[in-house]
Amino acid sequence: MSASANSATAWAEQFHAFERNGAAGAPQWLANLRRSAFGAFERAGFPTARRGNEPWKYTNVRPIAESVFTIAEPNAEASVDLAPYELPCPRVHRLTFVDGRYAAHLSTEPASEAELRSGALWRGGDGPVVGRLADAVEYRVPLAQERLGSLASAEDDAFTALNTAFLRDGAFVHVPAGAVVPEPIHLLFIATGRSAAATHPRALISADADSSATVLMSFESLDGGAYFTNAVTEAIVGPGANLRLCALQRESAGAFHIASTRIRQARGSRVSSVVVDLGGRLSRREISAALEEPGAEVSLCGLYYGDGERHMDNRAFVDHAAPEATSSEIYKGVLDGASRGVFCGGALARPGAQKTVARQTNKTLLLSPGAEADSQPKLEIFADDVSCTHGSAVGQPDADALFYLKSRGIGADAALALLARGFMSEVIAAIEDGAVRQRVEDAVAARLGGGA
Amino acid sequence: MLEVRGLRAEVNGVEILKGVDLSVGAGETHAIMGPNGSGKSTLAFALAGRPGYEVTGGEALFDGEDLLALPPEERARKGLFLSFQHPVEIPGVRMDRFLRAGYNETRKSKGEAELDPLQFDRLIRGKAKSFRMDPALIKRSVNEGFSGGEKKRNEALQMAALEPRLRILDEIDSGLDVDALREIAEGVAEMSGPDTATILVTHYERILAYLEPTHVHVLMDGRVARSGGRELAREVEERGYDRLTAGAGV
Repeated sequence: MSASANSATAWAEQFHAFERNGAAGAPQWLANLRRSAFGAFERAGFPTARRGNEPWKYTNVRPIAESVFTIAEPNAEASVDLAPYELPCPRVHRLTFVDGRYAAHLSTEPASEAELRSGALWRGGDGPVVGRLADAVEYRVPLAQERLGSLASAEDDAFTALNTAFLRDGAFVHVPAGAVVPEPIHLLFIATGRSAAATHPRALISADADSSATVLMSFESLDGGAYFTNAVTEAIVGPGANLRLCALQRESAGAFHIASTRIRQARGSRVSSVVVDLGGRLSRREISAALEEPGAEVSLCGLYYGDGERHMDNRAFVDHAAPEATSSEIYKGVLDGASRGVFCGGALARPGAQKTVARQTNKTLLLSPGAEADSQPKLEIFADDVSCTHGSAVGQPDADALFYLKSRGIGADAALALLARGFMSEVIAAIEDGAVRQRVEDAVAARLGGGA
Repeated sequence: MLEVRGLRAEVNGVEILKGVDLSVGAGETHAIMGPNGSGKSTLAFALAGRPGYEVTGGEALFDGEDLLALPPEERARKGLFLSFQHPVEIPGVRMDRFLRAGYNETRKSKGEAELDPLQFDRLIRGKAKSFRMDPALIKRSVNEGFSGGEKKRNEALQMAALEPRLRILDEIDSGLDVDALREIAEGVAEMSGPDTATILVTHYERILAYLEPTHVHVLMDGRVARSGGRELAREVEERGYDRLTAGAGV
């Protein structure tokens, strides 16, 4: 039996065990969602770089397909010091998950059972609802049933299918109409790092009309095993709402990180997303926004830093389904060692999507001759009155700048780190929330060096 | 402090310095004058260790140590400072972070304690004030969008922070109006003492009114054609480089 067939059998056994145990007692709609998702996974299998399979041309997931991962069991012994992950601000709504399981003692405002039972909690009012997806399902919150799986379909790819099949817990964020949330909402996913453990975190974010919020999802690890994080996020953004999303990925050097984020935007809404990949052995991050009504605006930014043999793949896609919508994609990569960075930026302007403005930029700084960058722009235009641009550039550190830094006593490594951070600063500056921006800056500084 | 003997250097395979001799002692200010293309800036870059300025012969000793064997950052940490004629713009790298890195690495190399961001901020603000430099520039990207005058003030600010002993000032007078020139020159003079030495690379004599040289050298075609005192600079100004060296046996 081949390694991947072996793995497929293991996934099937696990799924059936999960249905009997962890998933038992779920409402019928969720049981159905899971079952059909697992069916989709079994039909499609893990993607391969076979001819014509363009989205997976540069990223080989065979190490995942051929491994046997098991759903991470809660690690009771794991002691977690939150300090390194906390946001530098006095108030935050934080939900923490350790190996995919909710950790009440590491979360702010854990709700009591009575509160969970009362409908008032789930309605929110002036503030946001930041709760467990498992609770939202258990207490029959209508939004959960209505919206879970509405954007991320198991038919999209094997990873979304697996995430849905093994959907157990995650974050349920609801920002009611008109609510303006000044403090960041922090969804913290910590992996204890045991090898061969898999987690499938899920987040469902609803930002209703004219609301405003910042959500940071951070992925941290305590140890360096070859574990697997497979995250899916759905964000439904109502008319006039303003949602700022940030993802900070600092998985261990042996980890696999696959993440998919799907966004749907209504009239006049605004979404800003900044994704930051600093860890993992292999990471693949897909983000797509559907601008379904006029006047929607989305900015998708990303930065990635690779060293050693890391492989980092980022994909950003915007579907302009309505006129007068604006999108921009700015992704910047710094690649050292023998790392490889892939970016695919896409925009589709559907028929009738007049006055579309779509911009894409991908820039890579190569710090070593062994590093490799691949950049693929993809524009599909079916409207005639549009403004679409794309550009990509790969370059090396500026020799004059390097000498200038060294002439002030800065060593070669620190000088390169400073230049690399300078190169990334444009993306970091796109993070509007000060505390989230500071957290990302600190993480980048810790990873690249060059001083605080 | 600095002994340069028979220094030869090439840029892109073309020999620019053809055997430069220069001896600079503590407390001295040496003006290096010369026409365009005579090798003034090449000398400055070769001493600071800029890649592409390949030394092909001769030696340069800094406090008796082989300067040319050191990478540029170590030359800087030992107290050599080059004020650039054209300071480099570095987008995204904040001034204070950049300068703090250089400052702390220099301190570390001497076994001194590093300053944290708050301590350094206090230090640099004080220095900026004395150079009449807008403190907002300290939070901006290095030289990005700075005016010509701001860039030169910034070089002086960096010098003030790093407190080097051997200062090589490459055309600090270019692109400055008279007032700015005077302020910067006065600032440099204030930082001078019996333990520091200055090499002033300049095309014109006017800067020498503010920074009185103890020695003047005229560089022609990659060699020191003439050396003298302050009066040599006046002679240059009056007679021009061509007539100055006619009959000097160059």
